[in-house]
Amino acid sequence: MTQTSTLRSGQQTHSRKINTETVAWPLVVGVGRAHAHHGEFLQGVFERENGRLCRGLVTLPLTSQESLATFWPDQQAGIRSRPANRTKAARAAALTLEHVGLAGRGGELTIESSIPVGHGYGSSTADVIASIRAVAASAGVTLRQSTVARLAVAAESASDAIAYGDQPILFAHREGRTIEHFGGEFPPLLLVGFRDGSARPIDTLSMPRARYDGEEIGLFRVLRGLANRAIRQQDPRLLGRVATISASISQRHLPKASFNTVLDIARAHGACGVQVAHSGTLIGILLDATAPRAAMRAAELARQVSSAGLQGVHTFTLNAETRLIQ
Amino acid sequence: MTTAQDYLRAYETPRFAQLAPNLNAACFSLMKLIPARFMVDQAEASGRLRQEGHIIETTSGTFGLAIAMLATARGYALTLVTASSLIDLKLRRRLEQLGAKVMAIDDPQGDGNQRGRLEYLQQSLQDHPDTYWPRQYDNPENRLAYARLADLVVRSFGRIDCVVGCVGTGGSLCGTGGFLRELFPDLRMIAVDTHRSMLFGQPVGRRMLRGLGNSVLPDNVRHEMIDDIHWVGALPAYAMAHGLFRDHGLFMGPTSGAAALVGAWFARQNPEASTVVIMPDEGHRHSDTVYNPDWLAGLKGWPISIPLEPTVLTRIRPAEETAWTRFPWNRRTLNAVLAGADGLSPTQ
Repeated sequence: MTQTSTLRSGQQTHSRKINTETVAWPLVVGVGRAHAHHGEFLQGVFERENGRLCRGLVTLPLTSQESLATFWPDQQAGIRSRPANRTKAARAAALTLEHVGLAGRGGELTIESSIPVGHGYGSSTADVIASIRAVAASAGVTLRQSTVARLAVAAESASDAIAYGDQPILFAHREGRTIEHFGGEFPPLLLVGFRDGSARPIDTLSMPRARYDGEEIGLFRVLRGLANRAIRQQDPRLLGRVATISASISQRHLPKASFNTVLDIARAHGACGVQVAHSGTLIGILLDATAPRAAMRAAELARQVSSAGLQGVHTFTLNAETRLIQ
Repeated sequence: MTTAQDYLRAYETPRFAQLAPNLNAACFSLMKLIPARFMVDQAEASGRLRQEGHIIETTSGTFGLAIAMLATARGYALTLVTASSLIDLKLRRRLEQLGAKVMAIDDPQGDGNQRGRLEYLQQSLQDHPDTYWPRQYDNPENRLAYARLADLVVRSFGRIDCVVGCVGTGGSLCGTGGFLRELFPDLRMIAVDTHRSMLFGQPVGRRMLRGLGNSVLPDNVRHEMIDDIHWVGALPAYAMAHGLFRDHGLFMGPTSGAAALVGAWFARQNPEASTVVIMPDEGHRHSDTVYNPDWLAGLKGWPISIPLEPTVLTRIRPAEETAWTRFPWNRRTLNAVLAGADGLSPTQ
């Protein structure tokens, strides 16, 4: 933690002499990365420890695509982002400067991202989190994951669990806090992901929030319990069941036209389940990565999904040691 | 959250006991705290129950005890309406110690005088419209509350193939089973009742085994969810309760004995199935009776050894308190089964 203490002393110097500009900048060029996600395993309303309900989700990480943010500190105040429309990322950068005690400093923030926008890949959150990490790196600080998550929510009002990398957690995405740490790692999965043909890109934050009834809220509680069990026991089948039921509930709120077709295909292939982006167009079919011929079966499944007319079909892994056949 | 509320949340949490490799029991100290707390929470959240408000309920069992504990901890006045024939003195003392007003309605016929109790309750509601009536028989929140149990079950055991539980209001079995079946559509739900309870089509009569069964039909009993119904007489239930204590150190009430009897039988028949049995309360209330050899010695038919299997009924009918009977319900409505019994409706 020597970095932090160095920073603290730098901070004090800085706050005293901010207008005289005599202090040496503690900032260097900083780089941060954050990966995408492929929607959620589970999304709904859950009880916090204090007994109150809050919205939460279990994100499905997609590590093959990422956002790369670079923060170039300079003598001007304010954050200038490139592309210029990444205002949430810029806000996140400013909040991070404030958090590390360097409010009022500024610089250029460049974002290079391979993540498609508007389908539920979490492109916006990845930009925000990469930017937070870039600024923190620039100040020589390693932020706690919970801090990154909180700053992300402060910058864009709702986030996802990408601040926690590929850790399995139930995350309150509008409050930026963890509801439950499932611990360990996700069970090994192969996924065939694609986009629901019917849907257009979605502006996540402009969507009305789903209103859940008492039955659904009860079911979310049980699904949370089953997710806990599935992760603890490394059981992809149980996790697939959680995802399928959560996706079925999502159908009542943001229906995907191809959902039933996809369920049939998944069943016919003996898949573990089907997950969706609850505020996006993505659908994924989950396969047990440890099953015999898993990669071959994923490839077959991908072909069938393509021939059913679904777009953007790709296979990816989660916590699996499998070589994919694309 | 106050410490008392926190404590009551812990109190409603069951311990799990493994009775056989494929059979686990959820052992409650006081299961009814689950629906009671859930309903009171919902009533507070919706404004139906105001600060320092008044709660009224008709009950002669452990739901009254649960709601009395909550009412005291949260500062509500409570009136419990029961029948003079049903309330035992020890329970009444406990309820009154918790500050509850116990209204025992005269019951000359000895059938529980449900009508008289409801009349009293309706009158009270008219006189004091702010009073909150949980309605454990018909309020769907009774069932929804058991998402908590279903959560604990899947956290502990994952996939479940069969759930066995007693039916009185229908809340625990239909609630827990309903949620579990959303996860595992093939889940079997086995209901445990007792002879001369009207819940599953028997004619009403005097029942020796209390704490399950009913003389009226609550909305929370969802017949179309039930695969199998067992009627367990008082004596086999007592014998099994003794067995639970002897073999597993579980000192449970006699309804838990009835549920365990059925659960153990199903688990023996289906070694590949993962079965959970719900055991609603402990044996302390029954130490002068079910666990008292002198009292037991006066029972006709006692002692009895734990029966190994039920008698399968082809037609629903009451039996002796020494008997254990079973009928394949096959997820039908009560009307469909009763009509089928008269040969009016084809079986599935």
